[in-house]
Amino acid sequence: MMTPGVSAESRTAGWAIFFSDPIRYAAGVRLQEALVSAHIAGEIPDVILILQHHPVVTKGARGRDDYLVLSPEALHERGIDLEQSSRGGDVTYHAPGQVIMYPIIKLGACEADAHGYLHNLEEVALRTATDFGIEAERRDGMTGGWTAKGKFSAIGVRFRRWVTFHGMSVNVDMDLAGFDTIVPCGLVGQSVVSFESLLGDECPSCATVGAHMLTHFEAVCGRRFESYSSEEAWPAGFRSVVGGLGGVNLFE
Amino acid sequence: MSTAEQRRFTETHEWARVTDDGLVEIGISDFGQHQLADIVNVELPEVSDHLFEAGEDVGVVESVKTASDYYAPVKGTVVQVNEELLGSPELINEEPYGRGWILRLKVADVAVVETLMTAAEYDATLPED
Repeated sequence: MMTPGVSAESRTAGWAIFFSDPIRYAAGVRLQEALVSAHIAGEIPDVILILQHHPVVTKGARGRDDYLVLSPEALHERGIDLEQSSRGGDVTYHAPGQVIMYPIIKLGACEADAHGYLHNLEEVALRTATDFGIEAERRDGMTGGWTAKGKFSAIGVRFRRWVTFHGMSVNVDMDLAGFDTIVPCGLVGQSVVSFESLLGDECPSCATVGAHMLTHFEAVCGRRFESYSSEEAWPAGFRSVVGGLGGVNLFE
Repeated sequence: MSTAEQRRFTETHEWARVTDDGLVEIGISDFGQHQLADIVNVELPEVSDHLFEAGEDVGVVESVKTASDYYAPVKGTVVQVNEELLGSPELINEEPYGRGWILRLKVADVAVVETLMTAAEYDATLPED
């Protein structure tokens, strides 16, 4: 098992960037790719993006069309984009009301336990759910965050020179109907749940859930992050990476 | 030839060794395969005259929920790929220093492999657990 808290103090604080407006999936990928390159080049510290996406179905590197229930045209008519993703894992769905966490971090000692980084992301999902009184669990062979009623957190990552990107999602108060357009993660017959479907009126806000996810990530991975929640406050190095995207409007 | 000691390593967790017929065999280190967990697919490069630079990305190794690039440890052209991996990618997990090899490079001078980290030097870069 990992040892939470190790070297949290000795490491430079990373940047946790909170976005209040939803971002298109494709723009989010371009931002992550640019951040990965900058991290590999040693230009920026660890970064965590916490955001929501406009409705989109994404196929993982192994993503198969037979897990799509609707045609690309039918998805489009429902206002859902369809994107091929470079992350591991199978097909999934994102939409506003689901908190996404994309850590762009250099994997190191803290993640190198027997189960590695994925196990740590699962731990973040489970601890976050527990904070709100949800009984969460792991399921053998099915990476993610689960409850007795179904899956609330999806995980899919990619490494480039052992810098991570992509990451995890937690369903907070999204419209779950979008999941009907796919077979999530290729798991036939498994239900998808959200904090709202489990908690009703007691459901926390996405901003609250995102903050809890960050806190748990810091503890589980032994890292420390400074939070930035408005564009005006972005660190210069982050602003520079966004500026280098060449006219990509993150919030279009 | 199935131990770490007979290999050289990169900081991106590839290994390299010189084969009896003077090629440089490449694979993923034991630590690297542990990090990726259960490997389900390997993207192999074409055998071609493309000259890979040291550090250039060659392909992708995918496990159930991850995908990771791997890189050419030294400059060379791909002359053989391990097609057994296409049907049995788990060999990288099971025998990282044996049947889990990925490809073989033809290089100008195999002495370049000596510039990579020894097993002891590589071990020193890994986290203790």
